[in-house]
Amino acid sequence: MAQLSDEHIAYIEKDLFTRGVVYDGLHEELVDHICAAVEEKIASGMRFYEAYEEVIHAFGDTNGLWTVQHNVIQSKPNRMLKSYLRIAFRNHMKNKFHTIINIVGLAIGISTCMIITRFVLHELSYDRFHENADRIYRVDTEIRLGNVHHNLALGSSALAGHFRAIYPEIESAVRIWDWGYRTVSLPDQSATFSENVMWGDSTFFEVFTVPLLEGNAASVLDEANTVAISQTMADKFFPGERAMGKTIVIDGTDYRVTGIFKNLPANSHIRFDMLRSIVGLEDAKIGSLIGGAQLSLYLLLRPDADPRQLEAKFPDFVNEHVAPQLSAIMPENFTMDTFLSEGNTWTYTLTPLADIHLYSNKDAELDANGSITYVYLFSAIAAFILFIACINFMNLSTARSSDRAKEVGIRKVMGSLRSHLVRQFLVESLVLSLTAFLLAVGLAQLFLPVFNALSLKDISLPFDDWRLYVALVIGALVVGVLAGLYPSLYLSRFSMIGVLKGSPSVSSNTFVRNGLVVFQFVISIFLIIATISIRRQLTYAQNMRIGFDRDQVVVVHDTDQLGNQVDAFKDAVLRNSFIVSGTISGFLPVENGARNKNTFWPEGRVPTGEDVNYMVSMQMWSVDPYYLETLGISLKSGRNFSPERPSDSGQSLILNEAAVQKFGFGDDAIGKKVSMFTGTHADGTPDLNSIKTMQVIGVIHNFHFESVRRNIEPLALAVDKSTSGVAFRFSGTDPHKVLSTIETTWNKMAPDQPFRYSFLDEDLARMYREEKRLGTIFAIFAGLAILIACLGLFALVSYTAERRTKEIGIRKTLGATVGSIVLMLCVGYGRLIVVAFVLAAPIARYAVNWWLSGYAYRTTIGIPVYLITGVVAFVIAMITISYQSLRAARANPARSLRSE
Amino acid sequence: MHSPELLKGTLQTIILKVLKDHGKMYGYEITQRVKHLSEGRISLTEGALYPALHRMEADGILTTETVNIGKRVRKYYALTTEGKAMAKSRVAEFVDFIDTMRQVLQLKTS
Repeated sequence: MAQLSDEHIAYIEKDLFTRGVVYDGLHEELVDHICAAVEEKIASGMRFYEAYEEVIHAFGDTNGLWTVQHNVIQSKPNRMLKSYLRIAFRNHMKNKFHTIINIVGLAIGISTCMIITRFVLHELSYDRFHENADRIYRVDTEIRLGNVHHNLALGSSALAGHFRAIYPEIESAVRIWDWGYRTVSLPDQSATFSENVMWGDSTFFEVFTVPLLEGNAASVLDEANTVAISQTMADKFFPGERAMGKTIVIDGTDYRVTGIFKNLPANSHIRFDMLRSIVGLEDAKIGSLIGGAQLSLYLLLRPDADPRQLEAKFPDFVNEHVAPQLSAIMPENFTMDTFLSEGNTWTYTLTPLADIHLYSNKDAELDANGSITYVYLFSAIAAFILFIACINFMNLSTARSSDRAKEVGIRKVMGSLRSHLVRQFLVESLVLSLTAFLLAVGLAQLFLPVFNALSLKDISLPFDDWRLYVALVIGALVVGVLAGLYPSLYLSRFSMIGVLKGSPSVSSNTFVRNGLVVFQFVISIFLIIATISIRRQLTYAQNMRIGFDRDQVVVVHDTDQLGNQVDAFKDAVLRNSFIVSGTISGFLPVENGARNKNTFWPEGRVPTGEDVNYMVSMQMWSVDPYYLETLGISLKSGRNFSPERPSDSGQSLILNEAAVQKFGFGDDAIGKKVSMFTGTHADGTPDLNSIKTMQVIGVIHNFHFESVRRNIEPLALAVDKSTSGVAFRFSGTDPHKVLSTIETTWNKMAPDQPFRYSFLDEDLARMYREEKRLGTIFAIFAGLAILIACLGLFALVSYTAERRTKEIGIRKTLGATVGSIVLMLCVGYGRLIVVAFVLAAPIARYAVNWWLSGYAYRTTIGIPVYLITGVVAFVIAMITISYQSLRAARANPARSLRSE
Repeated sequence: MHSPELLKGTLQTIILKVLKDHGKMYGYEITQRVKHLSEGRISLTEGALYPALHRMEADGILTTETVNIGKRVRKYYALTTEGKAMAKSRVAEFVDFIDTMRQVLQLKTS
């Protein structure tokens, strides 16, 4: 039988396409069928074109062909998905490069988004696990008295009783008093441990949802000297035995274990391992509202109570109960009205339990709280990164779809297949998006430990929670549909005739695509500037003149365990030649929650009436005469404490510059005298008759002892006993030798006590931990953002180069150099980066200035930072582009032009 | 030429039987074979044949095999085990049907 030539077969193939036979599989089958029929006719003497005409006519011409195709498609509606899938896979495999970039880019974006979402959900979940969470409020106290301003997350111990007696809307009240870590041991054992112990009311276990594994929630801490311990503590102190009823020693006092509670979850702002009954604590029984015990006070309101209405009643309470106590220490003609009109305040407010972690940042918070700002910031970054990844995904799909414009145009000829086409595109993008989501879960699981280490959180993907899977599937569907819908709708807008003539109008598409590229780079550039700014501020803060020499100082903690051997310990260590000096003081220039401010005033003023304005709220640190020397703090004027002058102890003060300024001493502070209260009445109010006055002997330069976010506050040093820490300055370079020597001495003098130490510079670095973390996290996100953006750009350029292969070939044959072609390809995208930079710079400037305004001491971010960022982004983008451009420009034009 | 109306219900049976007797065949071959067997009285239209073939393939009655012939791709159809069983029962069913028709139409057995 006659065999058709390849040209004839090609003709038939093309003609069938033009007639609209495009259905995968059927097209080839019909080509073969028609070829066979034509061959038979040729064998009987016909010419090819006549034979072909006749065969097509037998089919019923174009309409007949459509009917065949339509019936075939209709014949297996249930199998369509499988066929879509098969075609989708085939198309993806054909373009492995695009497919991989598409999937990887999207997966990185999604995994980042997943991790951040988990983090944000964790932050938002704080304290919401308590069944009564929406009814629990914390009482806060704001006090403004002259220069003294306290914004406390605390309430007076006596308030609990008063409030419960007066306001029927309060169902219950819980007092919690945090004294920091306490020494815990077992009765007949010498080993001691430092544990997180707090004082608390028995009502705690009824108001808060902290289940007791053993013990009765209603009465667990009703008796004095009882303690409830966590499961972990029970296992630690009483492994393998029943802890209930056993005795535990806290701070030297025996406590009976009356309850064992389930460990407090990570998302609780109240965290302790032991809660001892506050019942027997004398300090908590002081009746004063203005002095005495200030502790964390929580109220459980009745379900129908309105917290705002309750809050509105507090001013009356202040008038009735606080004012009389205030008048006792204020001038004779004290009235609440004049007190308030002088700008003073005494206010109680309620903070909802669920708001504490993210919204409350007062003095003496129980926990280092999070910040809603970071939650917003991180959510925004997650959204940005996901958005960039999705844009890439859509961009690449659209770019690639114009390759298929012709196929689409032909398919469109057959109106009935339009929906089939849209479905095909959707399935293709769904396949990609599902793959990307699967990959993203893997990536997220892989990088969660890294994020946890950075954020100091313990976050994991909840694989046992069905909602994760629902969210993943919905996410994949949404991204897939959105990314697939745009190209398919955009393609169905194509003018059929234009497409078939070979000139799909792609100009509007290019505009959208370029716009998306610009947007991606705006975000990337913004994140880079933010990262550099955070780093700059951090370096600035850490290298700023902190006012003392932090290097080569080791601090030994808990030295009060040595009892009266502290001095002997210090002397013994000092005998080593590499120890330069040592000082005994629990007050060190690193952040420490346990320090209090007290009220001071220049001698001669009275701490009442109009003189209230002269009062200064200041920390006073107990140090020994070797403090300045050991820590390398320099004197600005006056003299240091001297061990030879016994009068220095208790009578002399050294102030920092900030204190001198607050007191208004000017340049001649030396010799001035400062007064303070030394005693309190039984009810906790300061005793007006016991006042002590000390003389200023020296002024030191300001140094940072709180976070660098804050201004340096007034500080006084006085010689007094404070044995909870000893600091040593050492010389030489081997800190390990120093440590082991000190530890040997320690073990000789206190064999049963744990040796706890730290290096001052490390303690200091801890103060910047939050900033450092923020900086690193930002750097990573910025890196990811620009990586995804570049992936997209890379693929887009390679696509453009591909499409312009012929143009490049012609240019080359006409004498264009490789350089000029690369330049031509780069200029187009380079312009986009410049536009992105122009848009991003002002936004970044605004945001950075806003962030820096939170710092008392801040660096300036100059124009060079912006320029460098712009150049870096530009260079990265150009490297990305030029690789593909070079490849396109170097290609042999003979190959690209031959086929035409 | 028999009317397409008469052929409608028998298309599957014809395909099954032809494939049973000849093993694997491609679409055009099937039309030619049927034409030959019926001495030109039965002509399968492509509009009916291909949808039927594709549906039978989807239902698991037929398997397919594609062979490249030069620039062309030829798709062969063959019966699956299920298809073979079906061919047998369909033919038997059809013979039974013809007998019934004879009785109904009161035709003499030839």
